[in-house]
Amino acid sequence: MPQSAEKALDHAPLFCEPEYRQMLAEKKLNFECPHPDQVVSDQREFTKSWKYREKNLARQALVVNPAKACQPLGAVFAAAGFERTMSFVHGSQGCVAYYRSHLSRHFKEPSSVVSSSMTEDAAVFGGLKNMVDGLANTYKLYNPKMIAVSTTCMAEVIGDDLHGFIENAKSEGSVPRDFDVPFAHTPAFVGSHVDGYDSMVKGVLENFWKGTARTEATATINIIPGFDGFCVGNNRELKRLLDLMQVNYMFIQDASDQFDTPSDGNFRMYDGGTSINDVKAALNAEWTLSLQYYNTRKTLDYCRDVGQAATSFHYPLGVEATDELLMVISEISGREIPEAIRLERGRLIDAMADSQAWLYGKKYAIYGDPDFVYAMARFIMETGGEPTHCLATNGTSAWEDEMKELLASSPFGKNAQVWPGKDLWALRSLLFTEPVDLLIGNSYGKYLERDTGTPLVRLMFPIFDRHHHHRFPLMGYQGGLRLLTAILDKIFDNLDRETMHAGVTDYSYDLTR
Amino acid sequence: MSSLNAKNKDAFHELASEKSGSKGPKARLRNCARPMAPGTAVGGCAFDGAKVALQPITDVAHLIHAPLACEGNSWDNRGAASSGPTLWRTSFTTDLTEIDIVMGHSERKLFKAIREIKDGYAPAAIFVYSTCVTAMIGDDIDVVCKRATDEFALPVVPVNAPGFVGSKNLGNKLAGEALLKHVIGTVEPDEPGLCDINILGEFNLSGEFWQVKPLLDKLGVRVRACIPGDARYLQVASAHRSRAAMTVCSTAFVALARKMQERWDIPFFEGSFYGISGTSEALRRIADLLVKKGADPSLLHRTEILVAEEEEKVWKRLEAYRPRLEGKRVLLNTGGVKSWSVVHALMEIGMEIVGTSVKKSTLEDRERVKQTLKEENLVFESMSPRELFSLLLERKADIMLSGGRTQYIALKAKLPWLDINQERHHAYAGYEGMVQLARQIDLAIHNPMWPQVREPAPWEQALVV
Repeated sequence: MPQSAEKALDHAPLFCEPEYRQMLAEKKLNFECPHPDQVVSDQREFTKSWKYREKNLARQALVVNPAKACQPLGAVFAAAGFERTMSFVHGSQGCVAYYRSHLSRHFKEPSSVVSSSMTEDAAVFGGLKNMVDGLANTYKLYNPKMIAVSTTCMAEVIGDDLHGFIENAKSEGSVPRDFDVPFAHTPAFVGSHVDGYDSMVKGVLENFWKGTARTEATATINIIPGFDGFCVGNNRELKRLLDLMQVNYMFIQDASDQFDTPSDGNFRMYDGGTSINDVKAALNAEWTLSLQYYNTRKTLDYCRDVGQAATSFHYPLGVEATDELLMVISEISGREIPEAIRLERGRLIDAMADSQAWLYGKKYAIYGDPDFVYAMARFIMETGGEPTHCLATNGTSAWEDEMKELLASSPFGKNAQVWPGKDLWALRSLLFTEPVDLLIGNSYGKYLERDTGTPLVRLMFPIFDRHHHHRFPLMGYQGGLRLLTAILDKIFDNLDRETMHAGVTDYSYDLTR
Repeated sequence: MSSLNAKNKDAFHELASEKSGSKGPKARLRNCARPMAPGTAVGGCAFDGAKVALQPITDVAHLIHAPLACEGNSWDNRGAASSGPTLWRTSFTTDLTEIDIVMGHSERKLFKAIREIKDGYAPAAIFVYSTCVTAMIGDDIDVVCKRATDEFALPVVPVNAPGFVGSKNLGNKLAGEALLKHVIGTVEPDEPGLCDINILGEFNLSGEFWQVKPLLDKLGVRVRACIPGDARYLQVASAHRSRAAMTVCSTAFVALARKMQERWDIPFFEGSFYGISGTSEALRRIADLLVKKGADPSLLHRTEILVAEEEEKVWKRLEAYRPRLEGKRVLLNTGGVKSWSVVHALMEIGMEIVGTSVKKSTLEDRERVKQTLKEENLVFESMSPRELFSLLLERKADIMLSGGRTQYIALKAKLPWLDINQERHHAYAGYEGMVQLARQIDLAIHNPMWPQVREPAPWEQALVV
């Protein structure tokens, strides 16, 4: 055995030792009825072919490796952006365990969500009792200022009425009558986490705004960031820019502090978030800006209904999109864009010019949430790259149209293809048949990276296998710089790997690039 | 639903009719089947439990019949290791939409999905999992699987454990039921041997079991099936011809072990591969059962020789760590078998246990914790993050060992933490694992970063003085 106290091998190298190699090989022979190596490699080659691609894309009943999560996850994330708010998911326990793990693994922070623990009884008789007991327990145990209720498929299939249930629970004294319990119906068999986000933010606004008339409009801008795995870095960066512009603004749903608590010996179940008073006051704002269209369709309609002006962006990244954002803010606030920001913009453009030769003509595959894919494709085209494959498992035909419009606006989008509703296994075929230089997406892309040899730039949500990316902004000119660097690093690292063989490929192993 | 109900009761029959233990059958049943309190967050659901218990069977396609939720939020999140196939890590789901549900398309979609898997992946078998929604709308996955099995000449196994029927623990047991009903005993092995064993409830996290297997190889003991860790469908299907069995995570599969004993006369024991004496004990008992079932009695002697050799080696290797770990205070927040087995292992290297949780532990597990620790107040049930946080500080723990979801609680308390649940990146089983465990605890506790984390900022220090 190769272990010793002086040199205890980690399991990764340990199982590479010959004893273990042999043991594992024997298992294959004894229990797998293995095919000959030739058959396996023929089959592997077949999965790279156009023929397989056609079969793969024709799949109808089966989703393989999805790039979306469900509505309640979005609702839970949304609730985390409000002051001392406990997420309460009306359904069985398992779903909540998944949301907690998902958020925890991405943000490297604890994530508190409770469940109404529905079981078979609830499925038959309805979940009212679970709501009554659950709200009471949550209120008692976790001392929240607000409990945000969303649903799982189960509660939706049996048709539990949240509004009625919450009223009943209040009548039975689960929580005080005037305690805030906003809610959203979030069935997972409709849409994805971006819709759940939308419903929950709207639910919170309705809870505080319904039945209240707008007094005079104040010159404040509400900003709704949308479901954003990089909210920690992004929200702080945006606040910095807005402060530089001296704009009156209010973030509605800000999870940046909740998912980035300092290590100072205190355990914060809740941190940061938009305060209840601010949400109330936000009714009087003149404008509501959403940074992501698909995350806030219903919410923005509601804002317009109450009399606010509202508009949305597609997750603004890069030069043009940031320009657009700042100019809209400048226009509606009447504040000028200060010199400091102008300089930042100049620096990003300078950096893009410095590196343009390395980026021009590079081909990309981008996947993720609809707004992000849109934003990323736009930024890629700014750098002279071609977004060859744009894929969103939760993309709709409306998204497809918007993407096509965007791609048609630049010569670099000429050969681009848009793939709404497709999964990562479909992307695998796309990458084999029409290869690209870089893949942009979340951690799940690492299998595509391995299978197809396409280097992966990790962005968006979830990122489980790398640390701290979400602490840095992607938005604003500073964010653009970080985005640019991430892409360039990947290109150079890859180039080094390919050219590092001494005397064979190192004619391009350059010190200066 | 009534038949499901009956099956659940049956799954817990095990616990209710148990012979040992101080509490009556009713209390035992309550203990494991007790519903979770609304308004708390405890853990997974039955579906999660079933998937966890079966997914590490690596050459099987695991198809989740559900809206996207159950799979979309959770796919590929376990650290079990495979020595070959990667199919088990691929996510397959029917992604039911509102239209499917309203129009009643879901059973047909499931059948088509099975066909698409069979055509595209040629798996050894397909396991189909029902979930809350598909169970509630009344999809009969048994019938669909049966038809698919007949039509495709491929084992298509229904796993009936929708989330709402109960806890993760129940899901584990229902997974065992599915294996018993549809898989185990369906294939006759070519050459059954007198030294064939099954290991049940071993997940091969980070390849842990591979550290144990060479020991068994040396003894000439063949692992016919390790369920589920790094298992192949054929191994599981022919597991009924083993001569003896060991359950590692009893919570998950002790009922399966009992029923295999009843049906095929395979004696079993509950053991653990954590810790030195734990591993030695497990080897001895395996040998003992095999000999009782007709293996060559020299196996007992050879086992003693192996144990003596290995123990001597490992104690020597651990000496380097002992002075660095002796007297250090550990809080364990985990469940099931680890509540006692890891405790025991840590005590062997001289660490002090300041608390261990017994969530998801069977009554046997709990008994063992008590016997090992000899102190009641060190044992706690599952608790809220805030309570856990306080406990860490009150009991002046030097390190917490737990799973990923609670790791940040320790870190916020400025305490070192080590993952011993499914996401861990080190293998702790067997004699090798004990060295690794000691090393990782040593590294975690003695990281030079901790003083910096704990000291206030220099300007705050100045104010204090």
